[in-house]
Amino acid sequence: MTGMVAQMPDRDRKVAERVPTDWKTGAMQTRIRRRYAAERRFRFMGLAAVVLSAAFLAFLLVTMLAQGLRGFTETRLALPIDFAAAGLEVTPAQLEQRGADAALASAGLERVVDNAAVAAFGPDGMDLISDTAWIRVGERLKADPGLLGGQAVIAVPASAGVDLAAKSGDTPLDARVAELRAQNRLTTGFAWGFLTGADSTDPTRVGIWGALKGSILTMVVTLLLAFPIGVLSAVYLEEYAPRNRWTDLIEVSINNLAAVPSIIFGLLGLAVFLATFQMPRSAALVGGLTLALMTMPVIVIAGRNAVKAVPPSIRDAALGIGASRVQVVFHHVIPLALPGILTGTIIGMARALGETAPLLMIGMRAFIAGPPGGFTSPATALPVQVFLWSDEVSRGFVEKTSAAIIVLLVFLLAMNGLAIYLRNKFEQRW
Amino acid sequence: MSTLALLILLIGLGIVAWVSARLRLSRLAGEERTHSLPLYHGWYVALWTAVPPILFLILWVNITPALVSYAVIDTPVAARILPSEPLERSALLAEARALAKGQIEAPFNADARLLAPAYAETQSRYDLGATALALILAFAGFAYAFTRVRPDFRARTRVERIVMAALLGASLVAILTTVGIVASLLFESFRFFSMVNPLDFLFGTRWSPQATVLPGEDPGFGAVPLFWGTIFIGAIIAMLVAIPLGLMSAVYLTQYARPAVRRWMKPILEILAGVPTVVYGYFAALTVAPVIRDAAAAIGIANASSESALAAGLVMGIMIIPFVSSMADDSIAAVPGSMRDGSLAMGATSSETIRRVLIPAALPGVVGGVLLAVSRAIGETMIVVMAAGLAANLTANPFASVTTVTTQIVQLLTGDQEFDSAKTLAAFALGLVLFVVTLLLNIVALRVVKRYREAYE
Repeated sequence: MTGMVAQMPDRDRKVAERVPTDWKTGAMQTRIRRRYAAERRFRFMGLAAVVLSAAFLAFLLVTMLAQGLRGFTETRLALPIDFAAAGLEVTPAQLEQRGADAALASAGLERVVDNAAVAAFGPDGMDLISDTAWIRVGERLKADPGLLGGQAVIAVPASAGVDLAAKSGDTPLDARVAELRAQNRLTTGFAWGFLTGADSTDPTRVGIWGALKGSILTMVVTLLLAFPIGVLSAVYLEEYAPRNRWTDLIEVSINNLAAVPSIIFGLLGLAVFLATFQMPRSAALVGGLTLALMTMPVIVIAGRNAVKAVPPSIRDAALGIGASRVQVVFHHVIPLALPGILTGTIIGMARALGETAPLLMIGMRAFIAGPPGGFTSPATALPVQVFLWSDEVSRGFVEKTSAAIIVLLVFLLAMNGLAIYLRNKFEQRW
Repeated sequence: MSTLALLILLIGLGIVAWVSARLRLSRLAGEERTHSLPLYHGWYVALWTAVPPILFLILWVNITPALVSYAVIDTPVAARILPSEPLERSALLAEARALAKGQIEAPFNADARLLAPAYAETQSRYDLGATALALILAFAGFAYAFTRVRPDFRARTRVERIVMAALLGASLVAILTTVGIVASLLFESFRFFSMVNPLDFLFGTRWSPQATVLPGEDPGFGAVPLFWGTIFIGAIIAMLVAIPLGLMSAVYLTQYARPAVRRWMKPILEILAGVPTVVYGYFAALTVAPVIRDAAAAIGIANASSESALAAGLVMGIMIIPFVSSMADDSIAAVPGSMRDGSLAMGATSSETIRRVLIPAALPGVVGGVLLAVSRAIGETMIVVMAAGLAANLTANPFASVTTVTTQIVQLLTGDQEFDSAKTLAAFALGLVLFVVTLLLNIVALRVVKRYREAYE
């Protein structure tokens, strides 16, 4: 034994002669305890990182929900109106015809409602009800023309000040609102106007539909351009492109475009579409074009991965029975890759829907008080609307901004959910 | 005829061509076998009928506004009333155009009313010409293709050649976009640098482009405070949040968590990357910034701004967590299992294995991921626009307000725009810097990641 040790190289002899570690000694036990404690600490730090990140998300969503849900409701005031005494010069027959709104407006319904507010709530009555209260009364009259000859108590929207005092308090109107509440005159209802209206300077009158329609028009343009171009170039690069310098250039361009900050696309849109081609400012068409350029690389990359995942045996089989190379791709590869392409497209579209900065660059930040009429008329988009409202000084806009964010998040969630559903339902493993 | 109606008419003609080509083929061939399926003959003729006039229309729509304007300027009415100053001139022309199209009811400048009829008349003349030319092109294309339909005509090869051209054309859009970005940024930046010395721009420390300057005074286009603010928020504060949280999340989810936890937590963390940035911006400005200001005041920092670098950087860091985490996840997964097993077999605990073996081995991938995250963070716009300030301070105080490149681009390009002022063009110069820096970061990051992947393959 000793002889063998003597023949060993120096390093190995040291190992062989080393006394085995005694794990039972106090020093070793302390050391092990310390190492295990470090292990537990490390593990806890990992868990803490996950929990903290998830907690940020939860906090963000809860904050938005807590502030935003109130934005979907409106405070209403029960306003007694005596139509018989007011002497509105409108006949019940007129109310059932077209042009009833104009008839009511020219008959002075607004004045009648203001007078009724003063009569019901005192001299500050006109400040308590919203400027649009008479429109609500008019709708009620159109639904029930019989009211013209009598009296009615109609719940009309309260003014921005009352609305804010009733929802969050801490305003000069708090005392007045408490009084009204004690008289059971305040009610809360769902603000349908928020879903059907457009931008306004009065937070109780703003609506999301204008911005939503702008977003939809923009997304239509984006989809119509980015999807075909993205899919075709993905197919080209994956199936036909010869290995040469041009193909490399295309690939490098696409990979770089996917990483270019979105605001740069806005600058491109401004310099090329607006300044060079003289396209209309603030239009959904230009917004869609700009976002299409931004979304296209996302679709190309997703599309290439989907096409790559189709096994070569499918192509070989199709070629073997005499299909041409175009037929192979369009009859077999694309249909099989479609779920993956669609998933990538939806994710790209969701990103485009939430994008703000490029749209600011091409002027989609103007105040637009009605839904856009078409692709070339001035429009705004949902995320831009959030940005615009967040800049408003009036406190009433806080809940409206959060409500708009909820609408935006619901759309994004629906799109991403659809993408996940498509992936799970149609994904094939070969 | 409106462009849309014409487009629909052309598509209709295409369908007619498609059907008639098939009918002709079946009449000519009878029972005989044809080289190509009838489908391809149909497509061949339909494409020849519809595509040339549609391409012509696209070109036409882009050039007529200019042609119409020139024609209107040449009319006697215009010669009398058009102002010579270019800006007023184009404003008046734009108004007359809008009036002629019925987009506006009442012009700001009453002279536009005089020009509008000339506009409408010229426009309708050009529209008529376009319609006639498009229809002639359609019929010529149809006649050419239709006469070639014969049983032995190789229609499929022709159609496939067109398809291949379309595929190639679609892929060239990416190059065109890149060229468009580079060209527009370079061109406008060049104009800017002809007004402002590039060295003053890149190394100057005073940024106040909104101020009116007297001749001979420093115009305030020194962008160093912007670069510093961008780095401070995007590359320092945001990364101080994102790297520990992202890396540790990735480590926990890949090494410790049960598969069920991992399956749920990974997508949940990825939601963080899917939340629109405008939402983060609003959250940072409304919820985080006041908390930070109050906290700073509580610990005795007097000049804490409500638009602090810290608020914007923190929230941006949260947004970046999933990027860091998924890159770290990928690179840890790419470390060969034998290295991990070897370390564990030597008696190392899991955390020792992770810290001394896995993370050092995965470091190039993690660094690449962090570089990508930095490039993403410095290009991010809405969070800093809404939560960081506009004051171009050169400070390392996280409670003070700093401004970033993207914030200033937005600031410079909103409001009244004259496309020729140094103020507007400065935005393009900033855009160019941003573009170059993010591009370099991406190239370096991808190279690092690629080389490291090759090391283990």
